[in-house]
Amino acid sequence: MNAIMSDLRLYRRLILMQVRAQLQYKINVVIDILGYLAVTILEFLSMLIYFVPFPTMFGWRIGEVAMLAAVASFSFGLAELFGAGIDVFDETIRRGDFDRVLLRPVGALFLVASSEFRLRRLGRLTEGILAFIVSLVLLHGIKWTPLKLLVLSISVMSGALIFMSILLMGATMCFWTVQTTELTNILFYGGREMLSYPITIYHQVLQRILLFVIPLAFGAYLPTCYLLDRALPLGLPGWVVFLAPAAALAFASIAVRLWSFGVRRYQSTGS
Amino acid sequence: MLRFYVEVAQTAFRRQLIYRWANLAGMLANIVFGMIFSYVMIALFQVRSIAGGYDLRDALRYVWLVQSMVMIVLTFGWYDLMLTIRSGEVVSDLSKPCDFYWYWFSREIGRSGYYLLYRGLPTYLVGMLLFGFGAPLDWRLWLAFACSLPIGAMIGIAYRVLFNIAAFWIVEARAFGTLATVIALIFTGNYVPLPFFPAWLRAIADWLPFSGLMNVPAQIFLGKLAGGEMLLEFLRQLAWLLVMTLLVRFVAARATRRVVVQGG
Repeated sequence: MNAIMSDLRLYRRLILMQVRAQLQYKINVVIDILGYLAVTILEFLSMLIYFVPFPTMFGWRIGEVAMLAAVASFSFGLAELFGAGIDVFDETIRRGDFDRVLLRPVGALFLVASSEFRLRRLGRLTEGILAFIVSLVLLHGIKWTPLKLLVLSISVMSGALIFMSILLMGATMCFWTVQTTELTNILFYGGREMLSYPITIYHQVLQRILLFVIPLAFGAYLPTCYLLDRALPLGLPGWVVFLAPAAALAFASIAVRLWSFGVRRYQSTGS
Repeated sequence: MLRFYVEVAQTAFRRQLIYRWANLAGMLANIVFGMIFSYVMIALFQVRSIAGGYDLRDALRYVWLVQSMVMIVLTFGWYDLMLTIRSGEVVSDLSKPCDFYWYWFSREIGRSGYYLLYRGLPTYLVGMLLFGFGAPLDWRLWLAFACSLPIGAMIGIAYRVLFNIAAFWIVEARAFGTLATVIALIFTGNYVPLPFFPAWLRAIADWLPFSGLMNVPAQIFLGKLAGGEMLLEFLRQLAWLLVMTLLVRFVAARATRRVVVQGG
């Protein structure tokens, strides 16, 4: 317990250090966040244009898809914010900085995860909040219960964990080759794009992958179905939404195990 | 002098050939996004069979056309020029005995040619195999498309050099560049085709330079533009190409006059 507390304290210090460093250039940070916010808002709004000529997307109305996209933005945005260090791991390897990380008396994964924190990424979370408000306005008449709020928050955190695990798997591949970052990006950004639409529009195989292999659907589609009192896909019973943390932890533990295997195999480029 | 620029373009083309795996991975990304948007279109067209003059086959062709053209016309995250300004390498390009803009223009034309052959064509073919939407067989459409796409690509070059040059004034111009790219991509129908836009937004989009990037070539390819309309769109494309080229050359001249080289 003590160890966890001291890790958390250290994490907070490392993150705050970076926040403080970035705040030295206040105008830059503000422009960066606003720029990212504008980009994500524009992308969100342009998706809504589909509903000008079409009344529904596979039975989903505009407000419902907006809510889905908002929840996906939360999951993805959190992962992007807290997983930035894992995201840029290929650079850490290429520069040889990972050798230094290994010498320190704290876990390597911990140090990698806390090595980057970009305030600009708050832009997408802000967009998520705005998109969520838009969806509430468009929908009006959702019955909120404490249970729904609970499902929303645990699902978003689970989704973020799954997205970060994808990044971690990509980072693990860097121990063998740094050429693969593009592939991780496809899964990371493609996954986000896929989550913004009802997963029922995809091929049966893709739906099953999103539910059982890379369980990203737990981070956006399932909780949104729950909030909107919709049936879950593939005839899954309603309580499945509560399995989100389990699915996320299972996926993350695979990612972490692969990572530790990679760390053991790691040989520095040396010179 | 022309021969020099042709050499520059050929060199850029050849340099691109080296990044075989990066291109393959990039193509995979285009394919994944093409698939996602195809499923979106298939889902949407369940409730009505025609929208904005498009049927499902047109929409699928459009989706894959966009995925095939986007690297040729407006690369997302193109900061090559910006980075040379930040690192100071721009000085060596400025001291070359050639025009600064035409130098970058030739480089980018070479790259666009590469992406046409090694990214665009294969991506469209994969889409054709996956979703069986075929391609138009009328040779006149292909001819018109072959005239319109290069104009779109040239507008794209002028545009991205323009927002890269902003780095002469702003140190961290990336955020600005991303925003500029996204705006252009939205108004050229990268996310949603222009025919699906509400009328008022469509009216604005039609008069922006971005329509000429991908929307006009795509509409021609899909056979949606007849005689007079096609002529009008060609004229608009050419007019914007002229305006954008003059603008970027003016701004580049202003910017490079500001450059102070610190030797050492």
